[in-house]
Amino acid sequence: MDAMIQLIHVSKWYDRRPALSDVMLEIEKGEFVLLMGPSGSGKSTILRMLIGEEQPDEGQLFVQGKNVTKLKRSEIPYLRRKVGSVFQDFRLLPKKSVFDNVALPLIVQGVSEKDIRRKVTEALRAVGVEHKRDQSPSSLSTGEQQRACIARAIVNGPVVLLADEPTGNLDPELTGEIIELFKLINARGTTVVVATHNHHVMHQVNCRVISLMQGVVLPERAMPERVGV
Amino acid sequence: MRRLFYLVREAWANMRTNRMTTIVAILTTAFTLTCVGIFLLIYVNLQHAAGWLQEDVKIMVYLEDRLSRDGRLQLELMLKSDRMVGSVLYISKEQALTEFRTQFPADSHLLEGLGENPLPASFVVTLAQSFRSPEAIKEWVEQVQTMGGVAKVDYNQQWISLLAELIGYIELAALGVGILLSAAAVTIIGNTIRLALFARREEIEILRSIGATGTFIRVPYFLEGAALGACGSALSLGILKVGFELFRQQVQFISRFSEMEGLISFFPLSACLALVLAGTALGFTGSVVSLLRVGEGRV
Ligand SMILES: Nc1ncnc2c1ncn2[C@@H]1O[C@H](COP(=O)(O)OP(=O)(O)OP(=O)(O)O)[C@@H](O)[C@H]1O
Ligand SMILES: [Mg+2]
Repeated sequence: MDAMIQLIHVSKWYDRRPALSDVMLEIEKGEFVLLMGPSGSGKSTILRMLIGEEQPDEGQLFVQGKNVTKLKRSEIPYLRRKVGSVFQDFRLLPKKSVFDNVALPLIVQGVSEKDIRRKVTEALRAVGVEHKRDQSPSSLSTGEQQRACIARAIVNGPVVLLADEPTGNLDPELTGEIIELFKLINARGTTVVVATHNHHVMHQVNCRVISLMQGVVLPERAMPERVGV
Repeated sequence: MRRLFYLVREAWANMRTNRMTTIVAILTTAFTLTCVGIFLLIYVNLQHAAGWLQEDVKIMVYLEDRLSRDGRLQLELMLKSDRMVGSVLYISKEQALTEFRTQFPADSHLLEGLGENPLPASFVVTLAQSFRSPEAIKEWVEQVQTMGGVAKVDYNQQWISLLAELIGYIELAALGVGILLSAAAVTIIGNTIRLALFARREEIEILRSIGATGTFIRVPYFLEGAALGACGSALSLGILKVGFELFRQQVQFISRFSEMEGLISFFPLSACLALVLAGTALGFTGSVVSLLRVGEGRV
């Protein structure tokens, strides 16, 4: 199988304190991976680097064979169109309807009106908030808001979906639902990486777990069976 | 298509959400541009007046009484063949006397006592269009003065050179004030855009994270800056027009000469359009300045 994500000897310091130390990581196409570790262990730092929001001080990162560290500024938007991201704080635009929020990545790319309508409807249906399409995000429950965010992240068919603490604001039941949704998305072929410090998540999904501790990747335990392709 | 629509709508939404700053920006821009406009208006009108006066410049070439008819004809020929000369009109001693009598009937007795006609014959010379600058006129006059048979050359010199000097100063002042206040307008609009950016930093963050290019993020703010500049300059034109009309009414009221009214004029339509365009460009520049480092891929 091809590697979708590769980190090669990646290190990062903030104010001379290491956030990541010599991280080696490989995630294959179609995998579902949990990035686990206590607060401050460097999970978000890895995800930020994968969308070109941050540069490593040492080492290289590859996404679908492309060296992210060598991208020009002007190329980064195109990387982000291939890599969807979901955050703990939902980051929906409060003044736009759910539909318009989800349509944003397509508008940005200049997709045609007809395709926008089709793709947004599809994405909203996939995450199960199609019936709220014309409401404003603030009128949605937290679970629905996170679903809308996920719809926005997958609407243009990204090859990778990165989720940083996507269930941090949700109760255990909703957490389970959201994880199920990620599994569904993964089953359609999208590589999914979920970063969390929540151990409940690990118990809800049977997948590969990468553990981080103070910026160091711990040796993986015996590989559990993989979900997806 | 949707993308374009989105960008325009964003710019519009920006201006509506920050209504107060938008209004303040337009008003201050309008005020600064009005100041520039006043100078421009004065400049344009003086230039206009100068043109009008110079159009009217008649150079009187008085002839010596002892100049023979042949000498006079020769002189006339010389003047007419000069490429700087537009037209030459001969006024004989008799014509001069008649003209004097019709113009000043009450004073005509002054001449009676002198017996012989004291008025000299003259040529009234109008210079060709392209030689009506004060320097050209002066040079020409000096040259003619040395010709044989010419007693004296006269023209309303002070007026013209004074006006030319004044126009020079106004031009300089307009340029200085224009540059200074244009920079002020750019700064004002730039600051407004910066405020708008600050108010929407989260939104910009989101746009970045979903793969919007720097250009896409910036365009609404460019549009906003340009719109602010356009509105500001249009408003300043309105203010100027109203002020101008009031001024004209005053002039009309004070002066008995109805010609004064025709003498002063507002900017022609093309100049108005140019001013609005200039305002738009200033606003655009303002937003470009404050957006130099915004909207790039990396934070
Ligand atoms: N912009 C920054 N400036 C300074 N230090 C930072 C910055 N971002 C992260 N760090 C530091 O880097 C380390 C790793 O941070 P990171 O956000 O990746 O942790 P995390 O695993 O995502 O934690 P959490 O579970 O709390 O989100 C922490 O020690 C953090 O303080
Ligand atoms: Mg984090």
